Amino acid sequence: MSRYIVRRLAFAALLVVVVSSASMILARLAPGDYVDLSLPPEASAEAKAQARARLGLDRSISAQYLDWLGAAARLDFGRSFLYDRPVRELIPERAANTAVLAITALVVATGIGLPLGVVSGSRRGALSGAIRFVSLVLLSMPPLLTSLFLVFVAARTGWFPIGGMGDSAIDVLHHLALPAAAIGLPLAAVLERLQAQAMGEVIGAPFVLAALARGVTRSRVVWRSALKPSLRHVAAVYGLIVGSLLSGSFVVEVITAWPGIGSLMLDALRARDVYLVTGCAGTGALFLGCGTLLSDLALGVVDPRASERVQEAA
Amino acid sequence: MTRRRSLRELWRAGSAVARDRMASRFGAAVLGVAIAATVAAPMLAPHAAGDHTDRLLNAPPTIPHVRDDAGEWHAPFIYPWRLVSQLEQRYEEDRSTRVPLVWLSHGRLVESSDDARAPLMLLGADSFGRDVFSRVLFGARLSLGLAAAAALGAMLLGSIVGAAAGYLGGLWDDVLMRVTDFVMVLPAIYVALALRAVLPLVLPPRTLFAMLVGIFAVVGAPFIARGVRAIVRSERRLDYASAAEALGASDVRLLARHLLPATRGFIVVQLTLLVPAFIVAEATLSYVGLGFPDPMASWGTMLHDASSNLRVFADFPWLLSPAVAMFLVVFSLNLVLQRAGAAVVYNERP
Amino acid sequence: MAGAGACRSSQPSASSSSSATKSVAPQRGGSLVASIRTEPGSFNRYVHRDSGAELISILTHAKLVRINKATQAVEPGLADSWTTSEDLRKVVLKLRPGVTFSDGQPFTADDVVFSFQAVYGLGHHGPLGASMEVEGKKLEVTAVDTSTVSIVFPVAYAPGARILDNLPIYPRHKLAAAFKAGALQESWGLSTPPSDLTGLGPFVVSQYVPGQRLVFERNPRYFRKAGDGTALPYLDRVTVEITPDPNTELLRLEAGQIDAMTIEVAPESYATVKRAADAGKVKLYDVGVGYNADALWFNLKPGAFAGDPRAAWLQRDELRKAISLTVDRKVFADTVFLGAAEPVYGPETPANKQWYWGRPTPHDPAAARQLLASIGLSDRNGDGTLEDASGRPARFTLLTQKGRANLERATSVIRDELKKIGIAVDVVALEGLALIDRFANTRQYEAVYFTASKTDTDPAVNLDFWSSHGGAHIWNFDQKTPATDWERRIDDLIVRQIATPDPAERKRLYDQIQEIFADHMPMVYFAAPRIFVASSARVINVTPALLRPQLLWAPETVAVVH
Repeated sequence: MSRYIVRRLAFAALLVVVVSSASMILARLAPGDYVDLSLPPEASAEAKAQARARLGLDRSISAQYLDWLGAAARLDFGRSFLYDRPVRELIPERAANTAVLAITALVVATGIGLPLGVVSGSRRGALSGAIRFVSLVLLSMPPLLTSLFLVFVAARTGWFPIGGMGDSAIDVLHHLALPAAAIGLPLAAVLERLQAQAMGEVIGAPFVLAALARGVTRSRVVWRSALKPSLRHVAAVYGLIVGSLLSGSFVVEVITAWPGIGSLMLDALRARDVYLVTGCAGTGALFLGCGTLLSDLALGVVDPRASERVQEAA
Repeated sequence: MTRRRSLRELWRAGSAVARDRMASRFGAAVLGVAIAATVAAPMLAPHAAGDHTDRLLNAPPTIPHVRDDAGEWHAPFIYPWRLVSQLEQRYEEDRSTRVPLVWLSHGRLVESSDDARAPLMLLGADSFGRDVFSRVLFGARLSLGLAAAAALGAMLLGSIVGAAAGYLGGLWDDVLMRVTDFVMVLPAIYVALALRAVLPLVLPPRTLFAMLVGIFAVVGAPFIARGVRAIVRSERRLDYASAAEALGASDVRLLARHLLPATRGFIVVQLTLLVPAFIVAEATLSYVGLGFPDPMASWGTMLHDASSNLRVFADFPWLLSPAVAMFLVVFSLNLVLQRAGAAVVYNERP
Repeated sequence: MAGAGACRSSQPSASSSSSATKSVAPQRGGSLVASIRTEPGSFNRYVHRDSGAELISILTHAKLVRINKATQAVEPGLADSWTTSEDLRKVVLKLRPGVTFSDGQPFTADDVVFSFQAVYGLGHHGPLGASMEVEGKKLEVTAVDTSTVSIVFPVAYAPGARILDNLPIYPRHKLAAAFKAGALQESWGLSTPPSDLTGLGPFVVSQYVPGQRLVFERNPRYFRKAGDGTALPYLDRVTVEITPDPNTELLRLEAGQIDAMTIEVAPESYATVKRAADAGKVKLYDVGVGYNADALWFNLKPGAFAGDPRAAWLQRDELRKAISLTVDRKVFADTVFLGAAEPVYGPETPANKQWYWGRPTPHDPAAARQLLASIGLSDRNGDGTLEDASGRPARFTLLTQKGRANLERATSVIRDELKKIGIAVDVVALEGLALIDRFANTRQYEAVYFTASKTDTDPAVNLDFWSSHGGAHIWNFDQKTPATDWERRIDDLIVRQIATPDPAERKRLYDQIQEIFADHMPMVYFAAPRIFVASSARVINVTPALLRPQLLWAPETVAVVH
């Protein structure tokens, strides 16, 4: 088992390197570069050439890549053109902001979505239908609209601050409400639908009928015996969800003015800030790589048949 | 003698399974109507997607009436909108003029008799003065077509990859899963931007459509692959699978007849999630230039344009029609595909 | 003194239900929250030119002179008087006595000399270097004594001291060491502790929270005083919040969380702001029509369309003039700017009262058709589209930037209007830098609709736009020598225009330049939007300007009600 984890971590590291490299190359291949942004279009050709030379953008892609690789081995990920700071400082700052948001949204989504999924999946009737309806509404709304609507409501009611992150801990919590809802509510709907489906399938299993025949009450069957195996659908994708949440949702971050890594990534791409783009992509790869590992481990816990030990033994 | 029972009575009296079937049929009916409307768009839509009226930017819907203010009955007509303030985009209804509707002319089901000045806009106009209703219909072709094709592609690709990984296990599993990890992690938007640079400036819509289907199918497949893999991995160890194997079933038969059907539930939910995601993603990709050229309507870009103006919630709610349409499609799709609640019901009153 | 501007005859109007606030005298104290859309790249204005860095520079640094954005007159700044030589080649400035930096160090002529050295030393690495040169040559700046600076221009330069409004004066004692070590590029980046940032402006940086806000506190050593002797600035604190989304920004403004916007109000948002203004929550200023309009231009590089059969008509003046005749500017203004715009026919708009020369082009599609027929395009087969002599339809690709509503609506109008006379236009909206790469680097395009703004109202300061030296003609970059006869004539005229002391003669020359421009129309202009700016109801004593930041160009005079 520990060999498995080591192997997966090694793969995650490889993934980070590969994705970072691919991103750097793609950022260089994309038309235009940072100098086109920092100097006006009318600037003279010499001016642009000098600026490119200073930033190292006149070198070939492979030369710049090898330089970067060498520096990255020493944990120097270059300097952002846009913010004139080392990438090594800039990314953790923003990633931390996104992490706060992601964890809150995750807690909200899991706390609401999973139980509701269990409820709607284990019975029929009006309640189940109502939960399903609300989930589908939340699922079909584009994140742009959801965020905008929430900000609009916040402004009209005055209950929540309109955007920004706040300073003190209480302040941050207050500011967190809006973006966490914008991300968490649709996510809760996703989890609810997945869980409802899985729950519905498990309820039909023979062991459930057997338990009921033995006289176990319905709610105990649902919430004790049937719950764990039904979690496998959610567990399969949970790590992915965690990973992609940590990579930030730029739509929500832009609209609620939450300074996270999602909006940083988009700004970096728009400005062709090569080192920052690479750093952001690498960070995203790190999160997702760990996320898939988390998913697979969770899967093993929830569904022992699928765990590595069993699979390896077979 | 048995009397005709109302729908509500049938609903109450029927078993849960029967209710489920009714809901499923309702969903299928809605989808059928949506598809029919999409196919018949050139006839149903009073305008082409690009037709616009310059004086009616963000104008409210023109509601057809049959009775005028005096209480007299007429053939269906509308009241034209009169511009009060261009800058504030305020209009008032000109109730002194009745503009009758004409039916079955110019190849359209219905349109206004004075289309240049008082067009029939059942869902109002957008910020270019284009008829939202027509654009929703034409946009359905693009958005639904794209989302459906891409979802199917993702499902196929994801199922194959996931099934192979779950079934074969070991090194194959590792390699396939790491490849899907890579696809998931690589920001699609970077690829799209680089891709746009090498493509010719003016892209024929068919090529663009095919390209977007391909991109979305590849981007959407990993989520399906993960879930399918998990299910196949665990189902494989179950008794029925070993029994089938012992009876000599080939790998393919085992997968197709026994293991993959177990993934049906998961895939169904994923499809419900992927369809709206793809519709919205089309708008995001258009920001790096991989979008359909301007007069062509798509729900994603319509919603994007609507979201750019804060007034949409208070003043121009009709601009959100594509969101309602999207919800209807997702809802009916889910009704059809995902069975409501538990597969079997125990000690519950029918 | 050359370069003095004429007074604006009309004051911008403010719509607010309580006119009483206008007559309230500004008092010291209070704080103001401004908002910007993107984070500044650095505290170093010599290295970054984004709007955030510009705002920081306005708040924390001062210049030798300041152009009054309302009257366009050059007013004293760090220099309280100056004289210009007869031949317009030399300006001698007397610096204000007793001025100190925010850390207490005295300000002397050496700081001025150092600032110029730094800007030139950074060369083309920094965006300011080019704007402090005349005809591509540096100015000679020497300190005559500790409070007198002499500036010698490479050629006779009529605007004179006006050019000095571009350069914030930086402290020699803080940055000289870094400059000598060649590290000025990295100095004053965002991770610099605020206490190291020293300037001569009304405020000092006191806090920077990455991604969120910048906080500025009053600089007690600021040199300006109000008319009644009050030490400026009025405000104790200015907070600049970073709000990337325009909708969120508006909501914050309405809720009173933002006091001043640094960007004009988009026409689509006008109604929302007007409603809030009528309710007394915000003040909406209509500053009038702006200085800049977006333009359509074609790729006029000789040989750009070699091998393309359309070369016969795609680069011709007649095509552009026909476009100008065909597009109904009223429809354009109504659709793109919701009517809040004025038609323009050249690079100057009526807002530039001192220099504007307009020759309105009528809306005349019939005349357009005749012009097009003269270059071989006519409807030969009666299908409604124009064809050339070999029957190929008239069609071209128009590029613009995706995501900017004004540009997208404008290209849509242009496409529809040109369709009416039979020209087919394919509008392709590209992502920002991809577009700039196309027309500035690879030059692989047919036509572009984009912004080409000028920074100053005096044309001589916008040499980059007008003269073909160093290749700044946006329709044909990097010309070593003028490609056409009329570009050569413009070059000659602009050189004369710079060097003439007499304002009336300069105007006459500039009129001629504009006339040549109108005759050949390398860029087609349609409409210039009116500028609306909004502030909260607490803000008083502002004189809104046309250029950004409209409300904070003189931040020391802005006050809030208590």
